Amino acid sequence: MEEQGKLNVTEDVTEAFAQELLNEFPSASVEVRENKLGRKRVWIRVDRKEYKALMRHLRSLDPEAHYSIGIEQDMGDHLGFTSHLLLTWRGEALSVLVEVKAPKDDPRIDDISEIFPIALQFEREGMEMVGIDFEGAPDKRRLFLPEDFPEGIYPLRLDDKGVSEDMVKNAGHPYYLKGGSKR
Amino acid sequence: MNVVSEFVYPVAGLIGLYAFVSFASLLWEGIDRKLVARMQRRVGPPLIQPFYDFLKMASKETIIPNTANFMFRASPVLALATAIALLAYTPMGFSPILAKKGDVIVFIYLLALISFFKIVGAISSGSPYAKIGAAREATLMVSREPAMMLALFTIMWRLGKLGISKPFSMGVFYVHNIWQVGTPMSMVGAVILLYVFIVWLASEIEAGYFNIPDAEEEIAEGLLVEYSGRYLALLKLTKSLKTYISASLVVAIFFPWGIAGYFGLAGLSADVVNLLFHTLKVFILLFAVMSVFRASTGRLQITKAVNFLWKNVFVAALVGSLLIAMEVIA
Amino acid sequence: MTEKVEYWVKIPFGPIHPGLEEPEKFILTLDGERIINVDVKLGYNLRGIQWIGLRRNYVQIMYLAERMCGICSFSHNHTYTRAVEEAAGIEVPERAEYIRVIVGELERIHSHLLNLGVLAHDIGYDTVLHLTWLAREKVMDTLEAVSGNRVNYSMVTIGGVRRDIDEKRKRIILDAMKYYREVLPQMEDFFLQDPTIEARFRDVAVINRRVAVEQGAVGPTGRGSGLKDDARWSERLGVYPDLGIKPVMPQDVTGERPHGDVFDRAAVRIGEIKQSIELIEHALDQMPDGKIKVFAKDNILVAKLRNLVDGEGIGRYEAPRGELVHYVRGKKGSDKPPRWKPREPTFPNLFAVAKGVIGDQLADFVVAVASIDPCLSCTDRVAVMEDRGRKRVLTERDLIKASIKKTREINPDIRGDPTPVGLGCSR
Repeated sequence: MEEQGKLNVTEDVTEAFAQELLNEFPSASVEVRENKLGRKRVWIRVDRKEYKALMRHLRSLDPEAHYSIGIEQDMGDHLGFTSHLLLTWRGEALSVLVEVKAPKDDPRIDDISEIFPIALQFEREGMEMVGIDFEGAPDKRRLFLPEDFPEGIYPLRLDDKGVSEDMVKNAGHPYYLKGGSKR
Repeated sequence: MNVVSEFVYPVAGLIGLYAFVSFASLLWEGIDRKLVARMQRRVGPPLIQPFYDFLKMASKETIIPNTANFMFRASPVLALATAIALLAYTPMGFSPILAKKGDVIVFIYLLALISFFKIVGAISSGSPYAKIGAAREATLMVSREPAMMLALFTIMWRLGKLGISKPFSMGVFYVHNIWQVGTPMSMVGAVILLYVFIVWLASEIEAGYFNIPDAEEEIAEGLLVEYSGRYLALLKLTKSLKTYISASLVVAIFFPWGIAGYFGLAGLSADVVNLLFHTLKVFILLFAVMSVFRASTGRLQITKAVNFLWKNVFVAALVGSLLIAMEVIA
Repeated sequence: MTEKVEYWVKIPFGPIHPGLEEPEKFILTLDGERIINVDVKLGYNLRGIQWIGLRRNYVQIMYLAERMCGICSFSHNHTYTRAVEEAAGIEVPERAEYIRVIVGELERIHSHLLNLGVLAHDIGYDTVLHLTWLAREKVMDTLEAVSGNRVNYSMVTIGGVRRDIDEKRKRIILDAMKYYREVLPQMEDFFLQDPTIEARFRDVAVINRRVAVEQGAVGPTGRGSGLKDDARWSERLGVYPDLGIKPVMPQDVTGERPHGDVFDRAAVRIGEIKQSIELIEHALDQMPDGKIKVFAKDNILVAKLRNLVDGEGIGRYEAPRGELVHYVRGKKGSDKPPRWKPREPTFPNLFAVAKGVIGDQLADFVVAVASIDPCLSCTDRVAVMEDRGRKRVLTERDLIKASIKKTREINPDIRGDPTPVGLGCSR
């Protein structure tokens, strides 16, 4: 299509987007990184109080924004949730990542399923896998884990609340499993 | 009141017919699967595969769900018994064994009774999928029988006007047939009714467009979902018998000519030769209606199939019947 | 939706069902034959892959990623590699990029032909199933010649591709493309003009544009509803812009406005097969010579990645089913990434079609699920058996032992014993 015309404008559009976002939310940290193929992504780190407002603002910039993935992770003493959005702004497809963190002793983050309905399913997965509590989520049931999986055990945590070694049963693969349950 | 002629001969004839028709219908199923496979550029199973299937299923473990009641176990047997009883009324190249005045009603009744037993057996299994399949079978049955009954009664009535001894009996087709009437209006009417009967046959054997309730494993696991082992073998045999009988009806109405006369035979040997020729005609008809149809179309949704059966087929039956009946009335 | 009426029935659809390829449970609320509501429950194929990934290094995760799914294994491999390359700052030689395009498009043809056959099978039209899958044999033979395997061809490595395409293989690929150019018009005829297919596919499981945007539908599902997005195009991935990629919309194939039904999705797939054939031919023409890998051996790769990766990387690619996203976060000095997350395209599509199928008949449900091309093999397998009240967890050895016992019951003369010998890796 008009890829040639777009390529010249890419530089300005992504930077302009990042600049405008910084003006709107000065306390967030906005960074534009470019990979070796020339693709730029906007990485935003925001505090959990402004998370919902930022998402709402992003939706208002493009009502058809595409919510791709919600990644929950265990970052030491914080639990993080990163979302990737694909926004079409000024004719350009921007790849935007929003990261929000919550401390482990107070793992509450706002729920954004009113803004992006598909985010509810990623939040359900986040709730059962690392234990983030999304306030206001309309559906907090388990998505992947079976119903009789023990409560309080979050499989993707790297600390003591993760899957302990004696819950693991395998056919004897020795890699990186100190012990495991010998069968 | 001769015991031999009124009791032994019919029973022996019925048992012989049953053995022959089971063999022929299972053989046809094997031929059909081979032909369809060739049409789809595959090799296909061997011709006697249905016999292997029947023996294998009869020897496998029968699992009965614990939500089933006694009708679950009774209905395959009852369905097969009905099919065997139906054989005594089917025209197969010669006048049926128990042909009497007015037995077309018994024929239609027994034919519907087979489907009824299948529905009752499916419902008594307690599985929700079987319930959905049973609902579809009932809907389809209600939609296909009226057109056929209207056409059949009209033809019978018209043939009765040509003067026969046992009116409304299934043996009437071998005394006169519909093409003998001769007038153009009745020819056109007969062709329309041929179309009605062919669509009825496709929906009775549930092939192609109408493969909706029975063995519809892709959609809601049909009527046969809880049957296994011997009961499944009995139900599959019943289905094969029903295929043969339905096709026999169509062949007897529209193509009833036999060849025994050419060989100058009479009595039992004439009947046997006519039976074999009739079987050949049944195979050819089923090739067109079952194999080709099955290989070249998919299945319809139940609402569209019912629409089709009422709007096209029933109206065609009305038109054809009117054409045939009008020249006598007018 | 409306108030619950007494004769509404809830039936479970799955996890084991002849119409579904993968185990997922849908709880359908039915009113006679009409579907009122669909509730999706996943996790029947959960294998703990992310958990395993937390304990493996970069190259082992690459092997793990490509075995997540059979039919889109190249896509997972490719996307993970892109994510790591972005995090590490590795630049891939151009010849490798072209080979990635060629194998990716061959996989796309393979997957779309499979799905078209499955769609036809679900409406009972077995002839089309057999003919489409017969056409699929040719691309599988081509892939076997190129990569050595009919499915699960591990061609991509971090920093390039593993095997080269030389003259002989180039000719094999070009022969296959010529074959497909003849077969594709016949297939288009089947799907676009046949009356049964039109009666069963048109206006069935309609996902309108608003629902598609809200639920994040991707791939042919999203494009069939009118969303113009293709991850290769919007991401300007690799050499795709030079080859002239653009999203295939249903109006290109059918000529009508997109309805968002099953027919449109099938039309998008047929259009994509056509586009793939053209892309492969252009790529084979334009492919330059040169190196195919940045790092010659895998252990050099692991050692280098230990220091190169510091930070996060996202890989986005258009798998045959939609947009595939992988996220990798690495730490300098360690060769095990602390987080790796894949997201398969079927995940949002399932929820989109669960909303789209409301109001349709039960007969259309399997067709609707097959039309999004479900590939849920990105979840875990935990087998828990209830044995008179006691719950046991079955491991691989238990399952193998039980299966051998049952086989011996049926046929005591069977020879051969798949029990793994020794300790350690049983496969």
